[in-house]
Amino acid sequence: MGEDSKTPLEERSRRLFDDSVAAVDMRMRSRLTQARHAALAAARRPRTRLFGVALWPAAGTAGAAVLAAGLWLALAAGHRPLSPSGERPSFEDLDIVAASDGGSGDAMKMMQDDVEFYAWAAAQSDKSADGHAG
Amino acid sequence: MTHFATLTNALMAWDDPATALKDAVLDHSRELDRFLLEIEHRAFRIAQVALRDADDALDVVQDAMLKLARNYAAKPSVEWRPLFYRILGNGIRDLQRRRTVRKRLMVWRPGPKDDPQNEAQDPLEHAADSSPAIPEKLMLAQALEQLEVSLRNLPARQREAFALRNFEGMDVAEAARAMGCSEGSVKTHYWRAVHTLREQLGEVW
Repeated sequence: MGEDSKTPLEERSRRLFDDSVAAVDMRMRSRLTQARHAALAAARRPRTRLFGVALWPAAGTAGAAVLAAGLWLALAAGHRPLSPSGERPSFEDLDIVAASDGGSGDAMKMMQDDVEFYAWAAAQSDKSADGHAG
Repeated sequence: MTHFATLTNALMAWDDPATALKDAVLDHSRELDRFLLEIEHRAFRIAQVALRDADDALDVVQDAMLKLARNYAAKPSVEWRPLFYRILGNGIRDLQRRRTVRKRLMVWRPGPKDDPQNEAQDPLEHAADSSPAIPEKLMLAQALEQLEVSLRNLPARQREAFALRNFEGMDVAEAARAMGCSEGSVKTHYWRAVHTLREQLGEVW
């Protein structure tokens, strides 16, 4: 089946298709013409309007970035919750907790191993908080 | 010729750059209009064969025209045809997917488009009267219907390859650009389509 040589099936189906295209009714031809004109009119309209819908996704992304940066700066500036001892956890502490070591296992595993200790520590912290409040 | 080249030539040809620019844009718009006029009926029929609904076919053709005009009008005009048919193919597939989902959700309530007994939407019903005598016209209508049924039964990519290569007369490279696949894939899809159609239509054609 070469590029140029057509089989009878290809030729006949092409003819039938061409006939069916010629037989598209006037109502549909008119609607297609309207669709074409609408497309050309849309192409002539400028797309990037300052307050137009086209810029909304970009504005949304920028807004989210500003919000995230604001939250990060607020946390870094001292809006973090205090630890039970009243000291602010430093980034070094967080690094130690987050760091994983092949020999001792990761932080989550450490917590799972000492559940009772952490429960006791939490209870002590609550008592201490009640004492300050009372 | 690219849009940029058209503009450059226009600017060089006239002394008044503003007028030249306006004329160049107008020329380009006319070229796009001519292109869309040239393909709109054929594209509509290809979509109608795939979707079996005139209104849906009109919607996807309209959408493809709009997307081409908005996003790709500045491309060289030789690229418009594969781009247009790529957009159209995506539109047809999206609509077919939505229909499948809708059919699953609404299986208890078949709509007119899902009703296999509904022959009122058959495109042949809208065919304009033409000169051939009734028996000949009837035979042609039957042959067309058989072809359309067989085409609908083909996998989407095979139908697309057959439509682009045989109905639109695209060469393998252009069809590959329109389908977003390799030339080898186009050849395979097309060969399988012809083979299946011959098996299905061979006895009656």
